[in-house]
Amino acid sequence: MSAVSVQAIVGAAPSPIEAPDVDYATISPLLIILGAAVLGVLVEAFVPRAYRFVTQIAVAVVGVVAAFVATVVVGAGLDTVDGEVTGRGGPTAMGSLSVDGPAVVTWAMLLFFGLLGVLLFAERRLDGGLSAFTSQASTPPGSADERHATRLRIEHSEVFPLAMFALGGMMFFASANDLLGMFVALEVLSLPLYLMCGLARRRRLLSQEAAMKYFLLGAFSSAFFLYGIAMVYGYAGSFGLAEISTAVSSQIGGQNLLLAGMALILVGLLFKVAAVPFHAWTPDVYQGAPTPVTAFMAAGTKAAAFVAMLRIFFVAFGGARWDWAPAVWAIAIITMLFGAIASIAQTDVKRMLAYSSIAHAGFLLVGMAGLTSGDGVTSVSAVLFYLVAYGAAAIGAFAVVTLVRDAGGETTHLGRWAGLGKESPVLAVAFTIFLLSFAGIPLTGGFISKWSVFAAAWDGGAWPLVVVGVVASALALFFYIRVVVLLFFAPPQGDGPTVAVPSPLTWSVVAITVAVTIVLGVLPGPLLDLVQQAGAFVR
Amino acid sequence: MTAFWLLAPIMVVAALGVVLSRKAVHSALCLAVVMISLAMMYAMQDAPFLFAVQIIVYTGAIMMLFLFVLMLVGVDKTDSLVETIKGQRLVAIVLGLLFGGVLVTVVAQAFVGPVVGLGEANADGNVHGLAKLLFNRYVFAFEATSALLITAVLGAMVLAHRERLEPRRTQRDLALERMQRYAEHGEHPGNLPTPGVYARHNAVDVPALLPDGSTSEISTSKTLRDRGVVRDGAFAGDVSVTMRRLEADGPERGRVEPPPSTPARHDGEEDL
Repeated sequence: MSAVSVQAIVGAAPSPIEAPDVDYATISPLLIILGAAVLGVLVEAFVPRAYRFVTQIAVAVVGVVAAFVATVVVGAGLDTVDGEVTGRGGPTAMGSLSVDGPAVVTWAMLLFFGLLGVLLFAERRLDGGLSAFTSQASTPPGSADERHATRLRIEHSEVFPLAMFALGGMMFFASANDLLGMFVALEVLSLPLYLMCGLARRRRLLSQEAAMKYFLLGAFSSAFFLYGIAMVYGYAGSFGLAEISTAVSSQIGGQNLLLAGMALILVGLLFKVAAVPFHAWTPDVYQGAPTPVTAFMAAGTKAAAFVAMLRIFFVAFGGARWDWAPAVWAIAIITMLFGAIASIAQTDVKRMLAYSSIAHAGFLLVGMAGLTSGDGVTSVSAVLFYLVAYGAAAIGAFAVVTLVRDAGGETTHLGRWAGLGKESPVLAVAFTIFLLSFAGIPLTGGFISKWSVFAAAWDGGAWPLVVVGVVASALALFFYIRVVVLLFFAPPQGDGPTVAVPSPLTWSVVAITVAVTIVLGVLPGPLLDLVQQAGAFVR
Repeated sequence: MTAFWLLAPIMVVAALGVVLSRKAVHSALCLAVVMISLAMMYAMQDAPFLFAVQIIVYTGAIMMLFLFVLMLVGVDKTDSLVETIKGQRLVAIVLGLLFGGVLVTVVAQAFVGPVVGLGEANADGNVHGLAKLLFNRYVFAFEATSALLITAVLGAMVLAHRERLEPRRTQRDLALERMQRYAEHGEHPGNLPTPGVYARHNAVDVPALLPDGSTSEISTSKTLRDRGVVRDGAFAGDVSVTMRRLEADGPERGRVEPPPSTPARHDGEEDL
């Protein structure tokens, strides 16, 4: 240590540090969710086991609903900011968070997904009065201890606080205004998801393998993200998105550093949204994780990561768009085609939905590559609309997966689903609606959302992407129709699938998601207005 | 700059050692070298707080934890080098080298202007400057980190903690249970006989001898019995031979009286 720094440590009379000026009301939705998570941990510690599960559900549901109300209040009170493009709200919490239109819409969307997720987590009627999570994660799969714990009807109610932490991380990720906050948020949202992936009650080895894969690859991608942040910091001298944007548009030297930094950050984010070639974890994790977790993760992670990606690339790297747009084009094309083609070869329902989620990441990237702003359908509003429609349909589809069962738990082999239309017409029709929405058939939310991202891309001159997108949709449609035919017209194998009778929790999730999917297809106006009024990102 | 050029080769070699050494402990020790060198780099950059944290937290705490885990798992374990996907290692090496090459090129070509602002940032002392950033500009990210820590603790508990599902059985309960079993099934409530009693050896695989010279089944471990490595019969034979000889000699000779001067002997060993 040099003499200078020794002197610097003991330095005389440092200037006082002012207390940070945080507008707690504006960030209250985030604080409520994180508060509910911490409260959940305390419940875990102090409430007797008999009441714990119910108390946790109550804490989570009340927290999510309260945060939703707070989000609506915050959203209604955002000031309009006039600039090149209209925006609302702005940075708060010392510039760490940008509570603007897109952020508030994303918060509301994530809280909606979170509520549906909590309802699915709380379902206990399917597995003989026990939740979908293992009785004791520390017991070896198939051991006598595990059976003993199951016999005593022990449950891991910690999944509720974990889900709340993940939800808080997602909300932070979508609204973080500097790269440092984004990294922390990325970890806060990922860590609980890694954990919850390994807690399935049935097929525990598969579930643990999924958690391990997700954790290792996720940690790897976080390292890419972090390295990219370091390079961008080296280029711009700041973590703030606004400062980086200034540095990018003033073209200060060291362009290579910026390019490498952008590429690495893009890799980290594309991993989270499961775009090809960073998708390898998706099928295994979606299949292995407990189905309620898969539902929550498929919808929530994609939404949070896409909004964060748009924010970083539109706000901070907007001036270098001609450098990153080609990469996004290429990845969008291969992601759409790969997702659509690979899903055709699947024989497992959960893997099929995973590949469909990959294809949807491609469609969302098309919207991002459009780079349109101004009035009408912008890239941001198109992506936000798409995320709502996709998330609702994905949660609904996975909720249906939890209901189709045989003696060994959920039966996810596609062949075993043959004849579901006879066994439970309501469920088969609901699943068909979700599939049609994934395929983008008119009168479903999927059609309007695909139309809006394609429109945004077309306006931005990305017409080749639109052409590929339409081809990929047609390919996917072929497959989805085949599944629908299987559900209704194929002869059942053996006794055919059994449909468990769930509690009103799962039924309400299926009903809500069906309703949202149809309403967004028939009456998309209100939500389209909302996402368009949300305006652009404000830095 | 001299210190940098001294440390940099050491760090690169140690970092290669982390990846290439076959034994996990060697990797961990190489990692410690990298971390200590990194701490010195921080010190050179006028970042005394990071220097101290790097030594205390990373080298001190985290490295020791690594080593503990390695010792628990078994130091002599080496990684399995069997490729599960054929050609994976070659592809990984090629891609890794390409990626490393790109990064080195990028960083080497980076134009770095004169560094400004360090004096300003450290004006009130390095720690004070950091505190200002942590508790003012980045206070939200700093607080959000606590969510991460709570998640980590909760996760460790969920994955590793095995709750006691029934009340602990005290010694009294166990004793009562033993007596109960004795009353109902006649199961012996005391200790089992130890192996080797009255036999020629007291090794674990030698069963105890009963007064009639036969061996006691329950005196040896069930595992050994199942494996068939219990040396029974061999020494029981000695007793029966002796008994037969005594009987043949008639009742007068059969009385065994130990000589008064020498201590009692167990068997036919010679006096030394």
